[in-house]
Amino acid sequence: MATILGRATEIGGVSRAARRSYSWVREIPLVPLLLVTVLVLVAVLAPVLAPHSHLDPVKPTPGQCQAKYGMADCPYVDNMPPFWFSQGTFATPLGTDYLGRDLLSRLMYGARISLVVALTGTLFAGAIGTLLGVLAGYMGKWWDQIIMRVTDAWLTLPSLVFAILLSSVRGPGLWNIVLILALVFWSRYSRAVRGEVLALREREFVRLAEINGVGKLKIIRRHLIPNVMNTVMVLFSLQVGVAVIIEASLSFLGVGVPPPEPSWGLMMAQERESLMQGKWWLAVFPGICITMLVLSANMLGDWLRVRLDPQLRNR
Amino acid sequence: MTRRTGIKELLALTAALALVAAAGEAAAQKGGQTPILSGPLVKLDIKEAQIETAKGKPKGTFRIAQHFALDPGWLDPLEHIFALTMQTYDYLVHDALIKPMPQGEATYSLAEHAELAADFRRAAFRLRPGLKFHDGQPLSTADVKWTYENYKGAHAKLFRDKLEHIQIIDDRTIVFHFKEPFLEFMDLYNGAVSGIGWIVPKHYYEKVGRDGFKAKPIGAGPYKFVSQQAGVQMDFEAWEEYWRRTPAAKTIVVKGIRDNAARLAGLQTGELDLAFGMTGKVLPQVMADKNLRWVPNFTSVWHLAFPGYNEPDSPFHDKRVRQAVSLAINREFLVRQETQGVGKVWGNWISPENRDALKGDGKDLPLPEHNIAKAKQVLAQTKSPNGFEFEWFVPFVPYFDMGERILTDLRAVGIRGKLQSLEGPAFRAKMGQGRKGFPGNRTIVQNIDPRPGGAKATIGVYAVCGSPASIVCEPQIEELWTKHEASKNLDERDRLNKAIQKILVEEYYMVPIYWNPFVHAIGPRVLPEGKGIERYYDTLHAPYPWPWEVWEVRADR
Amino acid sequence: MRKYVLLRGFYSLVTLWLLVTIIFAMVRLTGDPVAMKGEIGADATYLERIKHDWGLDQPVYWQYTGFIGNLLKGDFGHSFEKSLPVRDIYFERLPNSLKLGFAAFVISLALGVPFGMLSALKVNTWWDNAGKMIALLGLSMPGFFVGLVLIIIFGVQLGWLPVLGKGSSAFVWSNPATWAPFWFRDWPHLAMPAFALGWYFSGAMLRITRSGMLDVLGSDYIKLVRLKGVPERMVVAKHALKNSLIPVLTFAGLNLLIMVNVAVVIEVIFNWPGVGQLLYDGLSNRDFPMVQGVVLMSGLMIVMLNFVIDVLYGYVDPRIRLSR
Repeated sequence: MATILGRATEIGGVSRAARRSYSWVREIPLVPLLLVTVLVLVAVLAPVLAPHSHLDPVKPTPGQCQAKYGMADCPYVDNMPPFWFSQGTFATPLGTDYLGRDLLSRLMYGARISLVVALTGTLFAGAIGTLLGVLAGYMGKWWDQIIMRVTDAWLTLPSLVFAILLSSVRGPGLWNIVLILALVFWSRYSRAVRGEVLALREREFVRLAEINGVGKLKIIRRHLIPNVMNTVMVLFSLQVGVAVIIEASLSFLGVGVPPPEPSWGLMMAQERESLMQGKWWLAVFPGICITMLVLSANMLGDWLRVRLDPQLRNR
Repeated sequence: MTRRTGIKELLALTAALALVAAAGEAAAQKGGQTPILSGPLVKLDIKEAQIETAKGKPKGTFRIAQHFALDPGWLDPLEHIFALTMQTYDYLVHDALIKPMPQGEATYSLAEHAELAADFRRAAFRLRPGLKFHDGQPLSTADVKWTYENYKGAHAKLFRDKLEHIQIIDDRTIVFHFKEPFLEFMDLYNGAVSGIGWIVPKHYYEKVGRDGFKAKPIGAGPYKFVSQQAGVQMDFEAWEEYWRRTPAAKTIVVKGIRDNAARLAGLQTGELDLAFGMTGKVLPQVMADKNLRWVPNFTSVWHLAFPGYNEPDSPFHDKRVRQAVSLAINREFLVRQETQGVGKVWGNWISPENRDALKGDGKDLPLPEHNIAKAKQVLAQTKSPNGFEFEWFVPFVPYFDMGERILTDLRAVGIRGKLQSLEGPAFRAKMGQGRKGFPGNRTIVQNIDPRPGGAKATIGVYAVCGSPASIVCEPQIEELWTKHEASKNLDERDRLNKAIQKILVEEYYMVPIYWNPFVHAIGPRVLPEGKGIERYYDTLHAPYPWPWEVWEVRADR
Repeated sequence: MRKYVLLRGFYSLVTLWLLVTIIFAMVRLTGDPVAMKGEIGADATYLERIKHDWGLDQPVYWQYTGFIGNLLKGDFGHSFEKSLPVRDIYFERLPNSLKLGFAAFVISLALGVPFGMLSALKVNTWWDNAGKMIALLGLSMPGFFVGLVLIIIFGVQLGWLPVLGKGSSAFVWSNPATWAPFWFRDWPHLAMPAFALGWYFSGAMLRITRSGMLDVLGSDYIKLVRLKGVPERMVVAKHALKNSLIPVLTFAGLNLLIMVNVAVVIEVIFNWPGVGQLLYDGLSNRDFPMVQGVVLMSGLMIVMLNFVIDVLYGYVDPRIRLSR
């Protein structure tokens, strides 16, 4: 019990002091922060930044048509290589896919999908999980028993298996994936939050509020939820990366975001045949994008965990 | 490919022959065969089996890749489903009394003689002498009777309801007596259409039971079943005592591999000898690889349909919208991208291999046009002049790339939607429920259907109000169809049938795209070298190269 | 202690029952499987017969009780799509999954443990940062991406490794002669999927090893050993390593189970016929009994392992068993 109490005081105390002294600024991991910022900016500004449409083929020049198909006019030229190959052009810097669509533009819009799905999905999961965790921890008794047993059963299933199962119930679609992520991940929050609340419940400020006849709802709102936010934040930052991977995996398996929207996972799945032909870039670039996003999310998450939970420093 | 006209119009064809010949007394039709039934008979068009007496020694392993997961249920003819894929396995392990062979749509196999009474109330078969199952037990009429009585698959109810009793005359002679005239009997009993003619060994099935049989079936076919890993692989071994000939390949291994790239890789590394479904992105590689050969294997015609179009709030309610969809598709370029120019842009949605189908090559029906300007102009007169957003574009599985290409063509005129990539069974299930399978009325389906029974069978499934799979339901068509069903005049039926086909295309209820080559790729180990492999595709109107006992491969090193 | 074990056992059973119920309900929401079996235009009586065969014409509560009853007898039902008992198919595939899982497990240990130790011994140095980076990369690269990259390099460009399936060796339960050779044959087929799967877990393994090692190195026990003048090499090799491996192995056990059960995407890419592919097939074909069976077996394994771990911890640490 001592360690838990100790941790709770430190979370409040240290972070407040740190905020005042601005020393935390120096510890921010710059590389991942930069990466995340760039990815977010690209996602937000995709319509401005993207050189071409992400859904329509790039209009080819007659020369390109002639070279590829021996026709004067063609709707599109498929599988153009990136600019550093001899047939590549700077008009489509990373080349085009099997439908003559610009790969770079599609990757940019893909960032949108990944970020929207992962952030909202994890956010919903956090909201549900926190609420249930607080209820279980604070109300105790049957609330606790029922919520925790369901949580346990929920946690038993590996998240990917569970997500695939749910996706076959809901069918493909962007918002369905958000829902699936929320349904899969809430249990992780409720487990952690409950533990935190069990400790908080015994603390003096909560006891005092109870003695003074403050309503349960108010205690939950005023005292419990604000105090578990640190834990929730850490979990959130660590789950985002996993959520990106799950979205990509579902789309890769064809049960995620439906075409023609350019989800990174889907783009990889669609270009598996091209990969066998040695056109590696079509599948590798989306893979690198996923890795970069998840990597920077994980690094930020780690940093946040260390910041908010000094016990874990050096782990 | 011209030789492959066939099975589909079997029903129509035999019915026609029946009507012509029923009156005339047909005596013993085959040389030296004594008649079984008394009274007038129908003249049957069943070809003689080609028995190869020179007995070679089976050699080599022949490895086949199916393009989806394997189902042990395919090994049990008693539970035959309505799917042509299943017959691949029937042709391996089992044998039917009569089945499609290169010689003809109906060719004698286990039976050497068949008769059908002119009143269509009796049918008789005489089996070949000395038939055996793989375990050495004799195959007799008792097994034929037992198979009929225990059959549970496609058309089972019809067979059971019509049957009065089965009379076993001796070990080789059997007569089916029907309660009422059973006009379609010979067509349905054919191995192409149902599983009831594929003979299951009574003694073995009763011993091992339903699951046991699917786990390790035996039959009277050219290949003995050896082992399987459910869904993944099945191993078969040549049965040298097969009555028709000694199978050429010693071992046949069938694998279920869904991924196109993986099948191609398997062919290239020599892990596979024959792979189905090789169009799309992998076709250029198949063509470029000088070790591989391919067969175009034309099946049926790709087409679009609009479930729920006849509801007033559907965007596809307006004929001009459907016309714009058709005009927006760049079929020439699609054929080039998907099939490397092998497919043929086509004007009817039913395969020309059906003798009762209108030719869509520009003669009976015009070739569809690609004209974006005209499409925009037509669309401009509708409720949504600048296009609209529909919900789902649902392509036949697994032709998702092709679906996305068409979807992208439609975007050019402002018609936008999302692609639904289902799995095979899910797609079939939706199509099977027809309009009800696609909630809402903002869906386009990209379908293809190589169906036995002629154009009229295909119309009867999709374009008639009463069918469970109905997508088109029009009073105009309904009227013609009722007349068609009532008519006993073959010419009139043909005229009505073709009138319906014309309406379906001209009103854009069905938008034809191109005649599809279901390309199979063949590795270097398959003999003979070069073009000779096309002889394996001689069986009429079969999407797969049956029978299997003729496939030759190099001996294993 | 006995009370504690019984309570944990009871909880495990409740968890399992909830799991069974959740899955049963969810699977039934995926849609009507009967239509899958009939070809387009199949007659209604044919579909009715299948529905009856599969017991889907009975009320849901009756299907549910029947389902639970059969489960208690060890009967997972009949696969709709593969037409055989789910149990038989599952156990036919399980050795393949175990083979992949074990190989991936060995790879994750071989990568994770040495680097984790190195990281802990050289804490806050260049080595440590490199180790942290590897761990992060492991956790950030999706397995299917690693798989595809491997295919490009070793399958397509170099042509060293086969990209298709698991090879010809099969584990046949009824034939003991196949049991041993199965594990030792067809390694080229195994290499790429095992690495793609093991890669992800090696990151986690590295982290656990590192933190476990740091804990031990900072403990009074090691300080005491050092005070006694034992050379540093011996401290690490004999005392620290032994003690820090306990949490690693506990975690590893769980990892192995998870690997066997989450290999879906890897199995799909490499066409590896394990239980993951079975699940994927089952879902796409709405093969209820198959999906239920695979998911339940995966849940059952994890619940049982959790129970064992709980009991062991309770045995080792009395505080845990008194706290509840």
